[in-house]
Amino acid sequence: MIRLLFRRLAQGLLVVFVLETITFFLVRLLPGNPFLGDRKLPEHIMAQLNNLYGLDQPAWVQYLNYWKGMLLHGDFGPSLVREGVQVSTIISQAFPVSLEVGVVGMLIAVCVGIPAGMLAAWYRNRWPDALLMLPAMAGICIPAFVTAPVFGLVLGSHVPGLSVAGWDNPLCVVLPALTLGLINAAYIARLTRGGMVEVLAQDFVRTARAKGCGPARLLYVHAMRSGLLPAVSYLGPAFAALITGSFVVETCFQVPGMGLHFVNATTDRDYFLIQGLVFCYGSLIVAANLVVDLVLVALNPRLRSQGTA
Amino acid sequence: MLSACGDGRSSAEKFAEAGILVIGNNAEPQSLDPHKATAVADGKIISTLLEGLVRPDAQEEGRVHPGMAASWEHNADASEWVFHLREAVWSDGKPVRAQDFVYAYKRLLHPEFAGRYAEMLYPLKGAEAYNKGRAGWEEVGVHALDARTLRLTLNGPTPHLLQLVLHYTWSPLPEHRVEACGGMLDRSSRWTHPGNWVGNGAYVYSGHRFNDYLSVSPNARYWRAGAVRNRGIRFLPIVNGYTETRMYMGGKLHITNNVPPEMLARVCEVVPQHFCQDPYYCTIFYRLNTTRPPLDDARVRQALSLAIDRETLVAKVVRGAGKPTGVFTPPGAGYAAEPPAFMQAGSRAEREEAARRLLAEAGYAGGKGFPVLELMTTSRDVQRVMAETIQAMWKEVLGVHVEIRSCEWTAYKSAQQSMQYDISSSSWSGDYLDASTFVELWRSGGGNNCTGWGSPECDAAIQAARVCGDAAERKTHLRRAESIMLEAQPIIPLYTSERTYLKHPGISGWYPLMLDNHPLDAVQLPMPDKP
Repeated sequence: MIRLLFRRLAQGLLVVFVLETITFFLVRLLPGNPFLGDRKLPEHIMAQLNNLYGLDQPAWVQYLNYWKGMLLHGDFGPSLVREGVQVSTIISQAFPVSLEVGVVGMLIAVCVGIPAGMLAAWYRNRWPDALLMLPAMAGICIPAFVTAPVFGLVLGSHVPGLSVAGWDNPLCVVLPALTLGLINAAYIARLTRGGMVEVLAQDFVRTARAKGCGPARLLYVHAMRSGLLPAVSYLGPAFAALITGSFVVETCFQVPGMGLHFVNATTDRDYFLIQGLVFCYGSLIVAANLVVDLVLVALNPRLRSQGTA
Repeated sequence: MLSACGDGRSSAEKFAEAGILVIGNNAEPQSLDPHKATAVADGKIISTLLEGLVRPDAQEEGRVHPGMAASWEHNADASEWVFHLREAVWSDGKPVRAQDFVYAYKRLLHPEFAGRYAEMLYPLKGAEAYNKGRAGWEEVGVHALDARTLRLTLNGPTPHLLQLVLHYTWSPLPEHRVEACGGMLDRSSRWTHPGNWVGNGAYVYSGHRFNDYLSVSPNARYWRAGAVRNRGIRFLPIVNGYTETRMYMGGKLHITNNVPPEMLARVCEVVPQHFCQDPYYCTIFYRLNTTRPPLDDARVRQALSLAIDRETLVAKVVRGAGKPTGVFTPPGAGYAAEPPAFMQAGSRAEREEAARRLLAEAGYAGGKGFPVLELMTTSRDVQRVMAETIQAMWKEVLGVHVEIRSCEWTAYKSAQQSMQYDISSSSWSGDYLDASTFVELWRSGGGNNCTGWGSPECDAAIQAARVCGDAAERKTHLRRAESIMLEAQPIIPLYTSERTYLKHPGISGWYPLMLDNHPLDAVQLPMPDKP
């Protein structure tokens, strides 16, 4: 288990390094630069700005300087669009907001998706299955830019305490988290159903049933451990995506999270902010996948022997 | 109208009770440093935090009141102005001195500072040369004669100087604070951060969270502190007009920044008494790249312009939020440009006929042989729909086909500024209330010209306006320059924009202003309804 942990950590570090490197060079290939505004800057001003931030140097020199700053000072550098503000300041303000929305959203997704998937599998091809899988399919098909404004208008305007948009009271987290949570619940329900249907058809389940095992014990003790494996694999990257924010949901609900910065930094060519956000996102994906791997090993003893081998 | 939350009151009502104005501000500010900021959203906040020599009137367009300057005088041709400063202090109690203005102007113009809006100070004598490293600071026309007297020497007669100095780039800076936080040339200076901020405006900076809000609270040391009619302002950086309108309906805001065209009908139906539509000093137009054939032929450009039915465009695409125009400078400040002669053909049918004739004269009768041009727009919905409408008009009237290229913002600006386009959707809003902020764009080789077009006659008229001390004669020169440009039609003016937004009807002290530079200290909040 320890060896698996260290091997995955080493792989994760490599993944983040490669991700940062690719991002570094790709964003510099995009047309434009961070200093483009409504009005064209005189050439001498543009040259001075490029010089001030080292953007007039060859890309490989900028790349070495970036890693020097990261490794020696643990510093992502300054925002090129919001001059005078460090990238770390922006991320440290936005991340807790996205984390809050993501955690609540994931709780909703798990609490709704897993029971729905298990029930649908139990009643496979009968009316409860259709009743549960129809909204799940709708949740997968209907994009967030439709559900978010609808929730805002229908629930935000009419349910006391909820808010159409904004981030000025604790209940503001409900609708963004609900939007993200239900979309993910739909995926989780489908994956859980698929996994459970497969497991429920296996011999050991039939044996347990023949021995007089009740439905609750059959589902929760015998089938669930294996049946949840596909959903658990999905949860890792989904959780990382949720806590790094969603541009659509954050725009619709005016949530000051990471998603807005992600898109704005890219369209504004805020190179250092893009690097910082990609670093956070990559690290979270790696961490979430690591946790998922460990959970999968704990759930499935066969993986344990493969992992240590 | 406002939906309730929690204890039954909307957050707008709670803020109103506290005397705090909540206002939509379109975008997250880039900086509160007036020498780094360039965006309109930044300017609105900075104007509450710093006060320049004069301040705008809340109601009357173009009228100014004494600000930091209690009085002023100028020489006969308005090329040299002397401002007498009042006894005022910064928010930390230190006196505002003439040297703070000199320090600020030197910082913005300093060749090593890279002030993005340095051009705003170019009317000062020697400023451009200093900014480009070709002259010393002592040659720049800014002098503190004593702690309370500032002399500005300009390149030429500048009768409209008071309109120029309304812009935040002409504000003073607290030298002592900027120096304490890294010095004049430190671009990473933290002097604008909460806790460090020192200003001389009606408000002081009190809080900020990215993409959430920026708040300012009254400056107790402001010289007109008793006249401030609210107890603070909360600026919300809401980019999405749909979200902003929903938030207003949900009781989150007192004033919005804009209502998207698609929502205008609904808003007028549901909250007609909250809806406002004000003239805006902004023109929407298409740039034509005159360095590329066939757009290097003025007849082709004129034909494309004539074939556009601007009335339909305004009615159907922007749903009335503008006025069709054939000129570039919006009317205002005693200036009205004349449409070019070729645009003065009477009916719609006659204009279309004239367009076909011009295209035929250029060798493309019925659109035959006309190359497929690319029409570049941003990815904003309204721009895309407008491009599609104009594409259809050109096809129908002239038989020419254009391809639409929708770009994200930075790629669009990059292509436009490097002239990698055929036709580009564009807009221009004035920095100050004077036609020169529009007409000077069309100088040959001007940075924001971006059409490749230039004319010695137009340049000469602009130069004549620059050195003219008589206000009426100056306008005649500017009008002539604009006429020359419009006749050549390197741009296709479409409509002058109008601001559509929502405002609580109980708010007072807010009047239509073309520059949208409302002095927010004059705005009084509605009294909340009694439970």
